[in-house]
Amino acid sequence: MGLLSRKTKVSRPGRENGLGISRKYNFTQGRTYVVEESPPDISFDAFVNIVSTSVEGSKKPVGLAISRQHPDLIRQKYGLEATPILWLATRTGDEVIAPTNLGILTHTLIKFVEENPAGVILLDGLEYLVSNNDFNKVLRIIDQVHDHISQSKATMIIPVDPRAFSQKELALLERNTEKIARTSGST
Amino acid sequence: MSKLKILVVDDSEAFRKVMIELLIRAGFHEVVEAEDYDQAIAVFKQNRPRISFVDMILPGESGVDVTKAILKIDPKAVVIAMSSIINKKLIRESLDAGAKDFLLKPTNDIALSSVLAMWSD
Repeated sequence: MGLLSRKTKVSRPGRENGLGISRKYNFTQGRTYVVEESPPDISFDAFVNIVSTSVEGSKKPVGLAISRQHPDLIRQKYGLEATPILWLATRTGDEVIAPTNLGILTHTLIKFVEENPAGVILLDGLEYLVSNNDFNKVLRIIDQVHDHISQSKATMIIPVDPRAFSQKELALLERNTEKIARTSGST
Repeated sequence: MSKLKILVVDDSEAFRKVMIELLIRAGFHEVVEAEDYDQAIAVFKQNRPRISFVDMILPGESGVDVTKAILKIDPKAVVIAMSSIINKKLIRESLDAGAKDFLLKPTNDIALSSVLAMWSD
């Protein structure tokens, strides 16, 4: 079965309506950010803030979120209306990617970057991907997508629970990425 | 260390505590707090903080009401709306009431520093 004939369907990304609020995260385009935190509050806040705001007269970037959390919950909490959200789960459905289906995941991410060179990706659920696959396979996907991102103006945000990875694995994840560590005391 | 006064209005004591800790860590030591509308207005009148972080969902009168009352007392005050969900209608109401910006709860040092840098001048 070819990659495109599988079930996952990504709706066409649209621009979120502006909230009239300021941009709070100055993430550099063409970079991948690993945010060490649990729960992934900074990552979601940054993603939503970036796709809901524009800077210096430029258009608001479009986004793609992939998460272990159900898309309806994410839409409800973060008010996302036009951003495609894919659910990492073993269920079937249009907005679902199976955690073992790394081919589809890679294809979806790379296609998004190619079609939206200034887009923003939130890749949440790395722990779930690693629990269903070999760590090195998951790392290879991140590296592959990162290569596309670094040749574009796209940005990728990856929340990582540092308790779920060894020091060596964290070092490998952060090798080509920018690391953001949550400070204790965040509300 | 900044001498700028800041008010935190939230009905959760735990949230206020951590928010104050984040503000102190960011160099803002003059922080006062309130848990509802009445306390917020009383504390505001007494301390005249430059920036007020106001949770939009409070028991009794809402954060939008607090925002309007603060700005009636001091039209130059800066109110930053806060909420744990992004409800576009609520954010629009807050901004229409005069809030300058919005912070999603739980907040963090990156978002907070950005807001403080923007509005503490």
